[in-house]
Amino acid sequence: MNSNRHTIHVAILGLAMLTLKANSAYAIDDYTLGPDSIVQEGVPQGTVTQGQWTSEKIFPGTVRDYWIYVPAQYNADKPACVMVFQDGGSYVNPEGQQRATVVMDNLIHKGEMPVTIGIFLSPGVVPATEPDQKPRNNRSFEYDTLSDQYAKFLLEEILPFVGESYNLTEDPDERAICGISSGGICSWTVAWEHPEAFRKVLSQIGSFTNIRGGHVYPALIRKTERKPIRVFLQEGSNDLDNLHGNWPLANQQMAAALNFAGYDYEFVMGDGAHSGKHGGAILPESLRWLWKDRVEEK
Amino acid sequence: MRRCFVVANVVFLCGIIVAKVSPLPAQDMALSQVLVDGEDWQLLGEGYKFTEGPAVDRQGHVYFTDIPNNVIYVIDTDGAIVLFAENTANTNGLMVGPDDRIYGCRNGDKQIVAYTTDGAMEVIVEGVTSNDLVVTSKGAIFFTDPSNGQVYYISPQREMRVVANEIHPNGVIMWPDEGTLVVTERDSLHLWTYRIESDGSLTNRERYYGPLQLRSDSKTPGSDGMTVDRDFRLYVTTRLGLQMFDPTGRLGGTIAKPHNGPMANACFGGKDFDYLYATCGDKVYRRKTKVTGVPYFLRAGEKKE
Repeated sequence: MNSNRHTIHVAILGLAMLTLKANSAYAIDDYTLGPDSIVQEGVPQGTVTQGQWTSEKIFPGTVRDYWIYVPAQYNADKPACVMVFQDGGSYVNPEGQQRATVVMDNLIHKGEMPVTIGIFLSPGVVPATEPDQKPRNNRSFEYDTLSDQYAKFLLEEILPFVGESYNLTEDPDERAICGISSGGICSWTVAWEHPEAFRKVLSQIGSFTNIRGGHVYPALIRKTERKPIRVFLQEGSNDLDNLHGNWPLANQQMAAALNFAGYDYEFVMGDGAHSGKHGGAILPESLRWLWKDRVEEK
Repeated sequence: MRRCFVVANVVFLCGIIVAKVSPLPAQDMALSQVLVDGEDWQLLGEGYKFTEGPAVDRQGHVYFTDIPNNVIYVIDTDGAIVLFAENTANTNGLMVGPDDRIYGCRNGDKQIVAYTTDGAMEVIVEGVTSNDLVVTSKGAIFFTDPSNGQVYYISPQREMRVVANEIHPNGVIMWPDEGTLVVTERDSLHLWTYRIESDGSLTNRERYYGPLQLRSDSKTPGSDGMTVDRDFRLYVTTRLGLQMFDPTGRLGGTIAKPHNGPMANACFGGKDFDYLYATCGDKVYRRKTKVTGVPYFLRAGEKKE
């Protein structure tokens, strides 16, 4: 992991000469994708199916795009692990910052993560009635709200639907959830509300700030009996500082609380901004860490 | 129960997928975009019993009601207040329609009424209890009926029906494009949000705005009247103050109340619709802002049927 230099960066903030030296060696937010994020010859490629989902129960009237990634190694006789990505359109894009399906092809092929079906979901939109009206953008409501509504949406609508076509695991240790920004806190909230269903969380530049009260998680984590959740947090020192809060501080509070409460967690603080650049660059490492228990067992 | 539409579209990884969704947050809307440095609430009038229903007309005048005293006043664009109507039967919520009439919840007589600017009153519907209303650019009306836990719709042809129930409604407002209706409940930490269908039906309700902030001595926000601005910010009066939300339902901040008493309702008024007017118990205030309101009647001329 490339995090050492960034830690140094923070520690020597007052020492101009050392900072200069560090800056001369590394530009801020200079993360690049490694070979695990690039299509490799000889590695079998999974398939992606796209569709549109209309919720009539949990988020009534919302419409959203989804993509289902099925790895080439999938065998319908054996339950596959599951990973759900919020803002799925950006994760599934093979030309984007994350390229999650390429990473999954490569890691599954190398045996560094289990055979995992990826479910990529866009946030919902309530379409407008008339063409000159604004649709209701449901993203913040779905992702930032501290409740089990989004978890229910996954458990009662999405997983049963995907399960009609694929053999999915019901083991919570084989279900992971991932997101960026508000999608990051959303992923944490799903596991926090339903650890019997999801126990692996990957949060990139997670919005553990007061958008809709999410800044309370560090306090809750410290005073709640530990839940069996494994969590990887990625954050950048040049992330947002706005009316909702300060993202680098909020993620440090999360990491400190997870540490205090004895969670199985990994925290990587880079020097990126509010983007998927750093998170995308370390997505292979993040997934290896998140899934290592399932790989060792298999 | 649920449906899905599989766009029979198998995309291989080397193919093209267009990612339409940006993970970056919607535009942040802090109070600094609304409040003007050095500008505070200005007291316009006092000595009332309980003021409510601020409603702007085409010229930027703001009507308001003193419910227990059974009077409606109008504030001109310089802030001067004159009597508009008497014997108003506890008229509560007011709003100006596309016909330039002032519509009101004449709750004491169980009527919804409309006044022309010379003070002549017409009864629109009878036999209903009501609290607050909005008038669309087509002349339809939504009004809240807290006593019976309902929201009513009156079509431009004056056909009336219940369009929402299982709610304890108080204030009501629409987005500036009239596609979304928002209703307050005094004791809820959220505001209910509905899609407005072409026939006035309300669908897809959701706790979209929230959580509301609480005053330290209260377990409920006391949400009451609302207004919206051109950029789709939504402002709701509460015990704590005027809470401002962005169009994705996130709290942008709370504007302080002008005094320690009640604050029941607010609207944008003044010549350029850039003053916030607030009815606050025995007093009425306004303050200059950096934003502007967009009364629905202004859309009446724009829309092509």
